[in-house]
Amino acid sequence: MIATVASQQIRSLKRQRVVWILIGTLLVMTLLAGVIGWSSHRTIIGVYDEAVKILTSKGRPAPANPFLVKPSLSLLSNMVIYITLIGALLALLLGHLTIADDQSGGVGRLIFTRAVTRTSYAIGKVVSVCVVLAAALVGCWAVSVMSLWVVNGGPASGRELERVAVFYAVSWLYLLIFSLVGMITVLATRRRSIGLLSAMGVWLVVTFVVPQFTSGLRPTASLNPIIDPVSTSQTFFRVTSRARPVSIVEQYKQVSGRVLETASAETTRQTIERLAPLATLVIVLVVLLIVMVRRHDFSGTADDE
Amino acid sequence: MPANERTSSAIEMRGLSHRYDTDLVLRNVNLTIERGEIFGFLGHNGAGKTTAVNILTTLIKPTAGTASVCGFDVVSDRHEVTRCIGYLPADVRMYPHLTAAENLEFFAKLSGVADPRRAVAQTLDYLECADLAGRRVGSFSTGMRQRIGIAQAIVHQPAVLLLDEPTSGLDPLGVRQLRETIRRLNADHGMTVFMNTHQLSEVAKVCTTIGVLNHGELIYKDTIEATTERFPDENSLEDIYVRMDVAPP
Repeated sequence: MIATVASQQIRSLKRQRVVWILIGTLLVMTLLAGVIGWSSHRTIIGVYDEAVKILTSKGRPAPANPFLVKPSLSLLSNMVIYITLIGALLALLLGHLTIADDQSGGVGRLIFTRAVTRTSYAIGKVVSVCVVLAAALVGCWAVSVMSLWVVNGGPASGRELERVAVFYAVSWLYLLIFSLVGMITVLATRRRSIGLLSAMGVWLVVTFVVPQFTSGLRPTASLNPIIDPVSTSQTFFRVTSRARPVSIVEQYKQVSGRVLETASAETTRQTIERLAPLATLVIVLVVLLIVMVRRHDFSGTADDE
Repeated sequence: MPANERTSSAIEMRGLSHRYDTDLVLRNVNLTIERGEIFGFLGHNGAGKTTAVNILTTLIKPTAGTASVCGFDVVSDRHEVTRCIGYLPADVRMYPHLTAAENLEFFAKLSGVADPRRAVAQTLDYLECADLAGRRVGSFSTGMRQRIGIAQAIVHQPAVLLLDEPTSGLDPLGVRQLRETIRRLNADHGMTVFMNTHQLSEVAKVCTTIGVLNHGELIYKDTIEATTERFPDENSLEDIYVRMDVAPP
């Protein structure tokens, strides 16, 4: 039954234009991340070459180009921001649609008069968003690999392919949280529109509000792919910054930075510790979703569509 | 067709009550519907008819009493009950982006039908709407949706068909088609039909037995023939219903 529910949901999502628009936007942004990285890299190299010419004409020695030792993977660093913005919106919408279509359309009434358990139904829905998110991120991976090919002037190395794959695997775990939030908010609210707005509210808080408190009120923290150490003299923000280990967006950025080699290296254990809050939250949300589906009254329809 | 041999009745309610918060919508309902009957469940808006169907379809649990379908308890034998019943809600909706056949295959699979594709084709042929199979449900009129709704309700060949206001929104031709379909299902497959409705003229034409629910209480149950004999002064079922509503028998 889980496979039946999941395959039906995947088929339904595949037919919805809004899903394709968001996936398309994410893929374009992925391509853009590569183009921006490549462009800025070329500009910096150009400036360096001009500087070398000037220094040489004055008979001064030119230092080695520091940007040539910069890892090519770091050119994809903007992807971290696009995942937390466009990717999270896609994930929210996928989660929202999987439950909202059944609830407000009244299909849920028909489903639960069949020999399917509510737990199987909930797991089937989770499996469907897992698959769709994975498919979208595989597409992003392919675009990123092509971008690296252009930047490097040749195919990416096995190590680079592996690191980009790990980055998208971590992104998949991160986005799964938002899909689950999208599902839960539909079940928790009476109106479909309120459900979607609530999910977006959670996304705003997680992405923009929490990092303000855990990064020492640095306004650009939310849009910066690299997390800096907290440097504030205000006692309040020094205290709130201690919650950074549970700020999932910052932990995601840290791990992504390490994978894409834009952040300082750390041990595998430290990386696992950073991923633990994300994995724990996914498990908690899946359990919560199952409990809510089991308790939800599917005998009626939502107030609006 | 799953059935429990311990009982000859298709539906049984014993002391069935249901409460939404402080509102008691079903009050100690005792009702038996035999196999093969076409039962019309009458009552004004808010009388508790849909709540009774929601309990029989296992969508909600009764707060008191018991209900069984084909001898299976709706609470403790939920899985068996779901294999016994087909359900058509008042405003049937399906996945609008999928075709009628894709929607029906999904519901056939959920009911454990061995060959869903074949069952869907047979059901659509039986209902004479095979031309709708490849069309997306989102483009359907109310009448088309209702026909596909009936198809989803019978695709797994249930013993009991539960219809909640099935004529709602249908044009006269649609109402007539639905009436014929109910008669054929009953005659060809011996399907028991439990129908919530306001359309008293339809009840008079298609039902074998009626029950009247008034403020959650079952105030009357008998065959159509016995009912008309009991109220010889009334010209129609509508007049009888109005009389019962004013002065319950």
